[in-house]
Amino acid sequence: MQRHSPLARGARAVLFAAVIGWVWSPRLLDGSPVFVDARARSAMPASEALRQPPTLQNTSSRRGVVEVTLTAAPARLPTMPGGPPVNVYAFNGSVPGPTLEANEGDSVIIHFRNELPEPTTVHWHGLHIPASADGSPLSPIAPGKAHDYRFRLASGSAGTYWYHPHPDRRTGFQIAMGLFGGIIVHAPDDPLAAKGVADKLLILSDNRFDSNGAPAFSDPRSIQGSIDLENGREGDVLFVNGQVMPTISIRPGELQRWRIVNASAARIYRVALAGQHLIHVGSDGGLFEHPVEVPDVLVANSERVEVLVRGSGTPGERALLEDLPYDRYMPQTRPADWARARQILSLRYESDSVTQPVEIPAVLRHVPPPDTSRVRVRRTIVMSQGLIDGKRMDMHRVDIHSRLGATEIWTIQNVVGMDHPFHLHGFHFQIIDRDGVPEPFSSWKDTGNVPKHSSIRILVHFDDYPGKWMYHCHILEHEDEGMMGVLQVR
Amino acid sequence: MLSGIRISGYAAVSAAVIGATALSAAHYVRGAASEAGAAESPASGAADPVVLHGRFLVISHGCGGCHGPTEDGVSEPGWLAGERSPDQQFLIGPCAITPGAMPCFHTHPRNLTPDDETGLGRFTERQIFNALRYGVRPEDTPDVKITSTIPGQGNFPLHPHYLAPPMPWAAWRHMPDADLQAIAAYLKRGLKPVHNKVPESEGPPDFWADEYKNMPQIKLGSYPAPPFPTVNEREPVAKAPARH
Repeated sequence: MQRHSPLARGARAVLFAAVIGWVWSPRLLDGSPVFVDARARSAMPASEALRQPPTLQNTSSRRGVVEVTLTAAPARLPTMPGGPPVNVYAFNGSVPGPTLEANEGDSVIIHFRNELPEPTTVHWHGLHIPASADGSPLSPIAPGKAHDYRFRLASGSAGTYWYHPHPDRRTGFQIAMGLFGGIIVHAPDDPLAAKGVADKLLILSDNRFDSNGAPAFSDPRSIQGSIDLENGREGDVLFVNGQVMPTISIRPGELQRWRIVNASAARIYRVALAGQHLIHVGSDGGLFEHPVEVPDVLVANSERVEVLVRGSGTPGERALLEDLPYDRYMPQTRPADWARARQILSLRYESDSVTQPVEIPAVLRHVPPPDTSRVRVRRTIVMSQGLIDGKRMDMHRVDIHSRLGATEIWTIQNVVGMDHPFHLHGFHFQIIDRDGVPEPFSSWKDTGNVPKHSSIRILVHFDDYPGKWMYHCHILEHEDEGMMGVLQVR
Repeated sequence: MLSGIRISGYAAVSAAVIGATALSAAHYVRGAASEAGAAESPASGAADPVVLHGRFLVISHGCGGCHGPTEDGVSEPGWLAGERSPDQQFLIGPCAITPGAMPCFHTHPRNLTPDDETGLGRFTERQIFNALRYGVRPEDTPDVKITSTIPGQGNFPLHPHYLAPPMPWAAWRHMPDADLQAIAAYLKRGLKPVHNKVPESEGPPDFWADEYKNMPQIKLGSYPAPPFPTVNEREPVAKAPARH
């Protein structure tokens, strides 16, 4: 190096007093909640079988109508196995909330009641439904008030979705308190259901707790508070359907379909099953055209993946489903233990036999490739830290005007050094390419992760449903801080 | 990245050199700035005088010394395109003297050219102005006029994300508005975009807020500067008449 300094090789160095070492690190603990050691928990005996959340009971006898009652209310439930009951929020008294199950084409009526001490909404994440039923921050439901959400499930929309509150600035808090649940839309001609493949919903969430087991939130003025603002609030305890390290049993040769939902505020999962590849068959908006064998699959916040798992292990043995390290972080706030794999659940290979192993269909359904021939409008949306196009969310502002019927290409560009998962309300889109690399196969998405310093291009068709729609980063703390914009379709 | 970087005992010298650059730049006499800037580029035709003034300031403040390739290497490859080799990065912290000592942060001179993906292309001139005046990272700070240096007031962020050391913004923030605006204009409009992805600078989780508040070496003074004279200064003594 020939300039500035006599350092001939290597980095230029700037000395700060060694005092920074002790000035800096103890501050990390200042004002932070007390964390219980997660490693001790994951070492607990993991014998509890994975439970499926209850299903919302359909009270309608009419064909093609699903009518259910959903209440958000404070509850006292244990957050940990064997833990004491603590104050949480719950849909119909359970965490996760009961699963909404319906068929393509069904008319759905949800009689919702807000018994929380604060305003809320229910956002039907990923469903292509009218803006009036979207449960966005524009339509809060006051404490004590009821609201009927009504919509019809489009044909071709079969897939895995989820619902969660989406009130202004309080989404992260309310989800952390326990408000989230799954949605399964069935297709009449589902090729896997037709073969009797066992279907399991796995809602992944994480949380952190105080010494009493109640959800803990950092003081925004503390160092942990600013880390949470940056990274989003990551929990040190991982749950599947509210259970810690549950067990799924699988018989030799048996095929299971796992619908995985990432309901975590900030944790991106890189899911892998020790000893076998996963057969990736679907994403946010349902099945792919062809199954894809993968060693692991990334599930960003609010994304869903469907995978097939075969009972191929030695009877009596176990395999771990793990969250492998994935560096979504800025260097400034990257957790010290980010490179540690975390256990999600245990798969137990049973010894009873399957008489007739199910073949995996080569074609699952038809998914057209992105058709850009009708594109007239191209936009670039820039995500920086906490901002979209340099702005914070303003509910009284419209950031993008689009025409009903238009097909558009959006380039979503992330100009900062951490990942931001981009979610568009109300419309499914297809990812054309990532950093110019064409997507290897087509799928329907409502959320696309945009890794640090990269961009994705999406194709979206505003075929129906005029109104105001949100688009935002689905790291909940970013969303609550205003990393969101408003699209008006008319 | 850590392995292979050799640190010598000259680290402190480096810091001193950079500090001196910053100081001398900030105390530059501004009177003839525009004229000098224009005079330096006689062949630039009808270029915007604001851009040319920005160019003069960028050259004379040594921006190229860190952001590449050299302090006044305007016509050299990589002018202001940011770090292009690991020897341009900085080590911040005790590890500069004692290898392995913690904390140890690598910071990287960023690409100042208006490339959309890797440079300043996606930031407005106001965001660049705010970076120079308030030390806030343009990607983390809304594109709004800032009127205060108190967190949470006057659009100054509640949790400011400061530019990493050794960027000497604390000195350069004292330049008049028009000068900082001219620098932003030059970077955005007077440079060709160069695609060069620079690694993200490391730093503490509060983005140096505590260090700029408390660390003796980079503690912020006051902005605007305190009235003259401070305890370190004196009223100029009238020059004694020449003796005969």
